Amino acid sequence: MLTSLYVEGDTFLHRQRPGAKLALILVVGLALYVTESLTVQAVAAVIAAAIYFSLPIPFREAIYRLKPVLFTIAVLGLINIWLLSPHEALVSTLRLLAVVFLAAAVTATTRIADFMETITWALQPAEKLGIVRAADVGLALGLVLRFLPDIFAHYEGLKHAHAARGIAFRPLRALGPLIILTLKDADAIADAIDARGIRGR
Amino acid sequence: MTTKDIVLVALFAAIIVVLGFLPPITIPLIAAVPITAQSMGVMLAGCIIGARRGAAAYVLVILMVAIGLPVLSGGRGGLSVLMGPTAGYIAGWVFGAFVTGLIAERMVRDGQPEVRQYLGFFLASIVGGIVVVYAFGIAWLCFSTGTPFAKALIGNMAFVPGDVIKAVLATLAARAVLAGYPMLPSRA
Repeated sequence: MLTSLYVEGDTFLHRQRPGAKLALILVVGLALYVTESLTVQAVAAVIAAAIYFSLPIPFREAIYRLKPVLFTIAVLGLINIWLLSPHEALVSTLRLLAVVFLAAAVTATTRIADFMETITWALQPAEKLGIVRAADVGLALGLVLRFLPDIFAHYEGLKHAHAARGIAFRPLRALGPLIILTLKDADAIADAIDARGIRGR
Repeated sequence: MTTKDIVLVALFAAIIVVLGFLPPITIPLIAAVPITAQSMGVMLAGCIIGARRGAAAYVLVILMVAIGLPVLSGGRGGLSVLMGPTAGYIAGWVFGAFVTGLIAERMVRDGQPEVRQYLGFFLASIVGGIVVVYAFGIAWLCFSTGTPFAKALIGNMAFVPGDVIKAVLATLAARAVLAGYPMLPSRA
C-alpha cells in the first residue's frame, strides 16, 4: 500500500550522505531565490532535470511522480504571464522547476532508514534540551505504519455495517465512528508499549 | 508527552493518511474544485486531540512525506511536494491544527449545551483550518511564484466553499467523538 519513493540504484547521488543532499537542496534553493537572472534559473532547471531524469526511474514513472507539482507550477506560471510579465513568470517557473527536480532526485536516491538516521542526528540538540526524544519520533513513525492497515480495516468494517443495515454509506459521515474506533485502542497500545519497557526510563 | 500521547499522535497521523485515500468528493455547484478529505484532518486533529498533539500529528505526517512516503492525497509525497509552490499550505497544517486545538480547548467543555460545543468546534475549524492554513499557503505561494498577494487571495476564494463544508463535517465528527470518547480535555 505504501511504497517508498526510493529507487534502487548506484548513482553518484545514491552514494552521498542524506545530510549532504538535504544541505544541497537548501543551498541551491536559497541561491536561486537570491538571483533574478533568467540564465541562471534556466541553467539550474536544465541541470536539475538532467539529474532527475538520469536516475534509474522509467521515464513515465518519473513524470507520473511529479505530475501534480508540475501541473501546479504550470498553472501558476501561466497565470503569472498575465499578472506580471512573461519574463518574471519564466524566472519563477524555472526556479521552482529546478528546486522541485532536485528535491525529487534526492527523494528517489535516499532510503527511509538513512533519512531516519539523519533525523535522529539532527534531533540531538532538541533531545538535550528535553524538547523531544529522537527515539519517540522513530516509535511514532513505526506506530503509524503498523496501524494504517487496521484503520483501513475499521473503515471497511463500517462500510459493511452500513450495508448490513441497508443504509447508504457516506464516507465523510463515518468519520466520527472511524476516529472513535481507532483512538479507543490508544490505551491498550500505550500500556503494551510501557509493559515492554520500549521507551526505557 | 506520555506514551499515550505519542500513541494518539501516531494514530491520528495514520487517520490523516487514510483520509488522503478516501475518494475526493465533488460538489455539483463547484465541480472545478474537488474536496479531498485530507485537509479536513487539520480541523479534526485540533478539535479532537487538541493543540499540541494535533500539531505533532501533522509534523509526523510531514516527516513521512519528507522521507519519501507518498502519504498525501493522490499518492503525493517526497521532498518535491515540500519544495513546490503549495508547500506553504502543508506547513500551515501544523500551525492550523495548533490554533484549531487552542480555540477548541478553550471554548469547548464537557457538560456545555450541545449548541455551544458545535459553535466552538466550528469557529476553531474556520480560524485554524482555513484562516491560518491560507495565511501560510498564500504567503509562500506569493513568495515562490511572485504572484501578487491580492490576486492569490482572490484565487484562494475558490476553495472557501469547500473548506466551509469541511468545517461543518469536522464539527459534526468532533462533537460525535467528544460525546463518545472525549480526549480533548486531557491536553498534552
